[in-house]
Amino acid sequence: MIKTEKVLHLNSSKGRKVRVVREHYVREQVPCGSALCQADCHNDSKVLSGDVTHYVVPDVGVVRDFLEILEFRELQGIVLTQTAYQTVQHTRGRRHYNRLRALLKDPRHDCVLFANEFQRYCYCPRDKGESQDKWHTRNVYNAAVWYYNHLAGLQPVVMITEDSEAISQFSALNSGVYVISTQEYLLSFWPDLQAAHDLYNSIAQTLQERESEVVEKVYTEHLPAEVLEAGIKSGRYIQGILSVNKHRAQHEAFVRYEASASKNTELNSDVLINGAKHRNRAVHGDAVVVELLPRNEWKGRTMALTEGQGEEQTLEDTQSQPMPTGRVVGILQRNWRDYVVTFPPLEEVQSQSRNSQKILVIPWDYRIPKIRISTQQAEALQDQRVIVRLDSWESTSVYPNGHCVRVLGKAGELETEIQTILLENCIHVPPFSDAQLREMPINTQENPWQMDSSEVSSRRDLRDTHLVFSIDPKGCEDVDDTLSVRTLPGGKRLELGVHIADVTYFVREGSLTDLEARSRATTYYLADRRYDMLPAVLSADLCSLLGGVDRYAMSVLWELDAETLDVCTVWYGRTLIRSSYQLHYELAQSLLNGEEVEVPELSQLKGPQRDQKMAELLQALETLTRVARHLRAQRDKGGALELEGVEVRAQLDEEKNITALVPKQPLEVHETVAECMIHANHWVARKIQESFPHQALLRHHPPPKQEFFNSLIDCAKARGFSINTRSNRALADSLEQAVDPQDPLVNKLLRMMATQAMSNALYFSTGACPEEQYYHYGLALDRYTHFTSPIRRYADVLVHRLLMAAIQLEKEGSPSKPLASNKELEELAHHINNKNRAAQHAQKQSTELFQCLYFRDKDSNIDERCVADAVIYAVRTNGFLAFVPQYGLRGAVYLKDREGQVVSVDGDGKCEWKAGTLQRYPDRISTCTSTGTHTFYLFDHVTVRISVQPSRCHTDTLCLELISNKPHCAVQPESQPAGRGRSELVQEVVRWAEEASLQAEEERGKKSKLSREERQFRQSKTPNLYVLLQEISELALLDLSVCQIRNTEEQTCTASS
Amino acid sequence: MAGLELLSDQGYRLDGRKASELRKVQARMSVFAQADGSAYLEQGNTKALAVVYGPHEVRGSRSKSLHDRAVINCQYSMATFSTAERKRRHTETLYPRSQIDIYVKILQADGGNYSACVNAATLALVDAGIPMRDYVCACTAGFVEDTPLADLCHAEESGGGTSLALALLPRSGNIALLQMDARLHQDHLDTLIEAAMTACKGLSEVLDGVVRQHLEEVSVLTRD
Repeated sequence: MIKTEKVLHLNSSKGRKVRVVREHYVREQVPCGSALCQADCHNDSKVLSGDVTHYVVPDVGVVRDFLEILEFRELQGIVLTQTAYQTVQHTRGRRHYNRLRALLKDPRHDCVLFANEFQRYCYCPRDKGESQDKWHTRNVYNAAVWYYNHLAGLQPVVMITEDSEAISQFSALNSGVYVISTQEYLLSFWPDLQAAHDLYNSIAQTLQERESEVVEKVYTEHLPAEVLEAGIKSGRYIQGILSVNKHRAQHEAFVRYEASASKNTELNSDVLINGAKHRNRAVHGDAVVVELLPRNEWKGRTMALTEGQGEEQTLEDTQSQPMPTGRVVGILQRNWRDYVVTFPPLEEVQSQSRNSQKILVIPWDYRIPKIRISTQQAEALQDQRVIVRLDSWESTSVYPNGHCVRVLGKAGELETEIQTILLENCIHVPPFSDAQLREMPINTQENPWQMDSSEVSSRRDLRDTHLVFSIDPKGCEDVDDTLSVRTLPGGKRLELGVHIADVTYFVREGSLTDLEARSRATTYYLADRRYDMLPAVLSADLCSLLGGVDRYAMSVLWELDAETLDVCTVWYGRTLIRSSYQLHYELAQSLLNGEEVEVPELSQLKGPQRDQKMAELLQALETLTRVARHLRAQRDKGGALELEGVEVRAQLDEEKNITALVPKQPLEVHETVAECMIHANHWVARKIQESFPHQALLRHHPPPKQEFFNSLIDCAKARGFSINTRSNRALADSLEQAVDPQDPLVNKLLRMMATQAMSNALYFSTGACPEEQYYHYGLALDRYTHFTSPIRRYADVLVHRLLMAAIQLEKEGSPSKPLASNKELEELAHHINNKNRAAQHAQKQSTELFQCLYFRDKDSNIDERCVADAVIYAVRTNGFLAFVPQYGLRGAVYLKDREGQVVSVDGDGKCEWKAGTLQRYPDRISTCTSTGTHTFYLFDHVTVRISVQPSRCHTDTLCLELISNKPHCAVQPESQPAGRGRSELVQEVVRWAEEASLQAEEERGKKSKLSREERQFRQSKTPNLYVLLQEISELALLDLSVCQIRNTEEQTCTASS
Repeated sequence: MAGLELLSDQGYRLDGRKASELRKVQARMSVFAQADGSAYLEQGNTKALAVVYGPHEVRGSRSKSLHDRAVINCQYSMATFSTAERKRRHTETLYPRSQIDIYVKILQADGGNYSACVNAATLALVDAGIPMRDYVCACTAGFVEDTPLADLCHAEESGGGTSLALALLPRSGNIALLQMDARLHQDHLDTLIEAAMTACKGLSEVLDGVVRQHLEEVSVLTRD
C-alpha cells in the first residue's frame, strides 16, 4: 500500500471554503472483476463474462446522464469506474445513485465496479489548474488502459465519453483502447438495438434543450439543502411526503406528516398545499419541505364531489374547516418512477405547436402533472400508451420535462391496460428466464424427481407415524400447508402438526430463482390471471404437498394437554411427509356434519378397513375443530377483530367461475384451517424472535389512530349505534352489536368503514422497532409473522430460512451462514411491504378494469343489468357516495349538475333534473325544488343506473346516475329480497354464474385477439382460491370496497332465504 | 447529494483502505536534544510530538510528592494550526497523580489524536530510558454496517458512527484504557474490542521496529 495525499476543497458547515488534505492509499492488488483475468485477482463477487466481444468503460458524463442506456441488459461487459460511481453519488440524487448500485448488484446485468482510484497504476493526481471534469475523464481513460493491459490485450476495451476533446486527445495516444462517443458506440456495436438508440436521442435532445432554454421564472427557486435541514431542525419547516388528491389533482395536495420529524405539536393533521404555485414543482410521492403560511391564508379541504378535471370550484361554502396550509420550499428527495402517458389528440397537438417538437403528454395517473417531451413521433404514437421518464423540472417551466422510453401498446386494449396497471404499480414480471429455469429440478414422466437419500436421513420421517391431510378449495394445485393431529401414547396429550411446503430446500439463497422471487416478493393476482412468484415446476408440483406422494416439509408440532389444550412443548424442523387425504372444504365440512359422503382416497377400499380409515379421519377432523375453537376463543379474549370472515366468501366471487360462487355459507372448517395457520405463524414468530432478537422478520399491525374512526362513529350514530374504539376488544364487541335486523347491509358497511380506518399490517425487522410495537392489532397477538405460504410470499421464504438458522443455532451454537443484518432485513421488509401494496392496488385496478369492460358494451338506457340497487354510505355537499352491492362498485352520485340543477324526486320515486337547492347535514342531504323536498339519509337504498364514462388518457370510469330513491328491488319484483324460496336463490346463483361466464367469454373474446408475444407475459390463469382465502383470513386489510360489497350482496340473499 | 459512504460494497473505505488496515505509521525518536526523551509520530495525517522530562524532583509544592511512587504529570495540547478549522489551544491533564512530565502536542489532527499521543508518548518514554513493563499502544476502531473499522481517520470519526479508543499492553494483552462515547449495541462490543486489539498489536510491531532501528542507529554512533 502506498500513501498519497489528495487535496480537496470542501464547504465547511459555516459556508466557507476549506482546504482539506485527505490521505489516499493506493495498492497494486485491486480486483478487476473479469473472468479473463490473468493475474489471479481475488474476484469473489460478480465477474464479467469472458465471452463478450469487448469491454466498455463509460466516462463520468455518460454514467451521469445516460445511465438508462447502460441499464439495457443487452449491453454487456460494462466496467464502471469508481470515479464515475462517486461522481454520480455526489452530483446526482440518492435515487440515481441507488439505481446505479442496484444495477451493479443485479447478477443479471453484466457489469462490474472497478475501484480504479485505489489502483496504484490507474490513479493519477489532479494537475494544477486542471478542471475536475478533465481530471475525471483522464482517470477513467487511465483505468481503461490499465484494464486493457491487465487482461493482456485479450479483450478489446472501448471507452465511451461525451467529451469530444477527450476523444481526439486520447484517440491519438494509440494505447489499445478505443475512445469513441456514446452515439458512435451504439451505432457501431449495437446497430440493432433500436430502443437504445431512441432512448439516447431522446435523452440527448432533452439535455440539449435544457441548456439552451432561458425563460422567465414560473416558480420560486428551491432553497439549498443546508437551509432546509437547518429549517427542519429548528421547526420552521416541515418535512413530509407529498400526496396529491386524486380527484382535484391540480389544486389540492397534502403533505403527510412524519410525526417524529417535527416538534411542532400544535399540528396534528396533514398540511394542505393549495394550487400549483405553492406546490412548486413537487410531484406526487416526493419528499418535500414545507413552510406554513400565516393563519389567515389557511384554507379548508374541498368537500364537494368533482366530476371532471380542471373544473374550477373554489366556492367557500364547499370547504371544510381551515386546516394548516403551506407552500413547498424545497425538495429533499424526488421519487419519480416510470409513468404511462397518452399523447393528446392530433388537433390539440397542432394547436399547441409553438414548437411542434415538444408535446405535452397526459399521464395515466391523475396525480401526475402533464409532462413535456420532445419527440418527432407524435403522430405515430397517437392512441398508444407510452412509458415516459421525468428528467427535470426547472423553475422556468410550467411542466416537467421528460423523455420517451418505450411504447406499451394501443390504448383501450385489454393487454395494454393490464400492462399499464402493472407498470403504474411498479410491478415487473417478465417470464422466467432460461437460466432461472435451468436451476429447477426436473420432474417429468420419463425422469421423475426423486428424494435425496441424505436428505431423507437428515429429516424427521412422519410418513408412517402421522396422518397428514390437507384441506383446500376444490381443484387447488399448489398446496402449501397440511395438517395432522393425533393423540400421543398415554392419552394425556395431543399432538397438533402444521406442515408447510419446504420451498427453501429448492430455492437456495442467492440463486437466480431466489433473486427473482425476492424482487417479485409475492405472487400477483389480477382479475383474470396471476403472475407466480416461483416457476410452476415448484409451485404446482415439487413444493406442493399433494396427496399420496412423498414431499419435503417444514413442520411445527405442538404437544397439547388433552384436557385444557394448553401448549406443553413445541418442535420445529424439517420433515418428510406423505399427505393421505387431499380434502376440500365442503367435503371436510360434510364429514364433520356427519353426512354420508364419498372420500375419493377411500373409494378403492371396502368394508371394515374403509370404516376404520374413515373413523380415523373423522376423529382427526373433530379434534382439529376442537383445538381451533379453543385457539379462537383465546384470541377473542385478547380482542381479535372479526373482520375477516366477511371477506372470505367475497373474494371468491372474483374468480368469475362457478365453483367459486359455491361457498356462500362460511364453513367452520375454513376458520379451523385459518386458526391453525395463525397459530403456526405465531409460534414461529416467537421462535425466531427469541433466537434473533435483532434480525427476525415479523409482521405487525399497528393500532389505528382514533381520529380515523370519526366517520365510522358518526355514521353509526346516524343509525343509533355507538361504537367504542378504545381498544380492539371494545371495537370488536361494539361492531358485534351494531346490527340492524331490517338491513344486514348496515353492519357490513360499518365493518367496512372500521376496516378502512385501520392501518395496514406490515413486515418489519425486530431490530428496527421497539418491542411494544410488535403487537398485531387485528389478530390480537403479541408476535406474528408469515410462515405458512412460502410458495406465494417471499416473506415466508425468509422466515423459513430464519427458522432453520434458529434450529441450527440451538443445535450447534452458531448459525452456519451469517444472517442478514437488521438493516438489510429492514430494507427487505420495506421492499416486500411496497410490493404487497402494489399487488393489492393492481388487483383492485384490474377488477375495476373488468367492471368497466363489462358495462362498456351494454347500453345503459336499455339494458336491465345496468340498473341496480345502491346504498348511501357517505354524504358530500353536492351528492353522496354509494355502493352497488350487486356489482361490488362504489362511486359518487351527484345531486347537482354543472348547470346548478338538482335532482328532484316525484311521487313514485322517479328522479328528474330541475332547478333547486341542496342542503347538506351530517347524516343526510336534501334537495329542494319547486315540486317539493326530498331527503336522502345514510344507509338509504336507492336505484342507480350504471354507465361507462370513457376516457382517453386514463382508465374508463363507471358513472352512477340516480333514477329512483326507492330500492331497486321495487322495480324488479322478482328479485325482491322478501320471501324468496330456496329455488329462487339457486336461480339467482345460476344467474350470477351465467353473468360471470358471460364476462369470462367476453374476456376470452378479447384474449383471442392478442398476439402471441403478449400471451407470453401471462404465466398461468385462474388464481388459486385458497391462497386468496388465506391472505384475507388473516386480515391483510385490502381496500375492501370491492370484496365487502360483493359479500354483502350474498348476505342479503342468504338472510332472505 | 448522497451522503458519504464510509465502507463501499467492495470493502474499501474513503481513503482506499480495507476495514482492518491501519494508516501508515512513521515515527522518529530523539528529535530534541535538550529533553530527556522525545518522539515524533505520524499516524496517517495525524502528527504528534511527545517530550519527556525526568524523572526529576517534584517541582512546585512538595506536598504533591508521593512517598512510594513517582508522580506523572502529563500535558496535552493541540497546535493552533492542527485542524482545518482552527481551534483554541487547550490543555488537559490526562493522568492525575503524576510525576514525570510528559508533554504531547498534536501538530496536525486527522482523527485518532488520542491514540497518536499515547503512541508518541510511549516512544518518548522509551527514549528517556524510563523502565516500562511494555509498550502502550493505542488505536481507535469504529463500527459501520456490522463491520469494525480499524484506525479511523477524521472523516470517519465525524461520520456519526461509534468510535472506540483502546490502549493495550500488547504482550500481556491487558487493556490500559477503553473509551467510547457514542452508543453501540452490546452485542457488537466484543467484535469492536477485538478489532481494536488487533490493530494495537499491529501498531506495537511498528513501534518496536522504530525503537530497534533507533537503537541500532544510536549504537552505531556511540561505537565511533
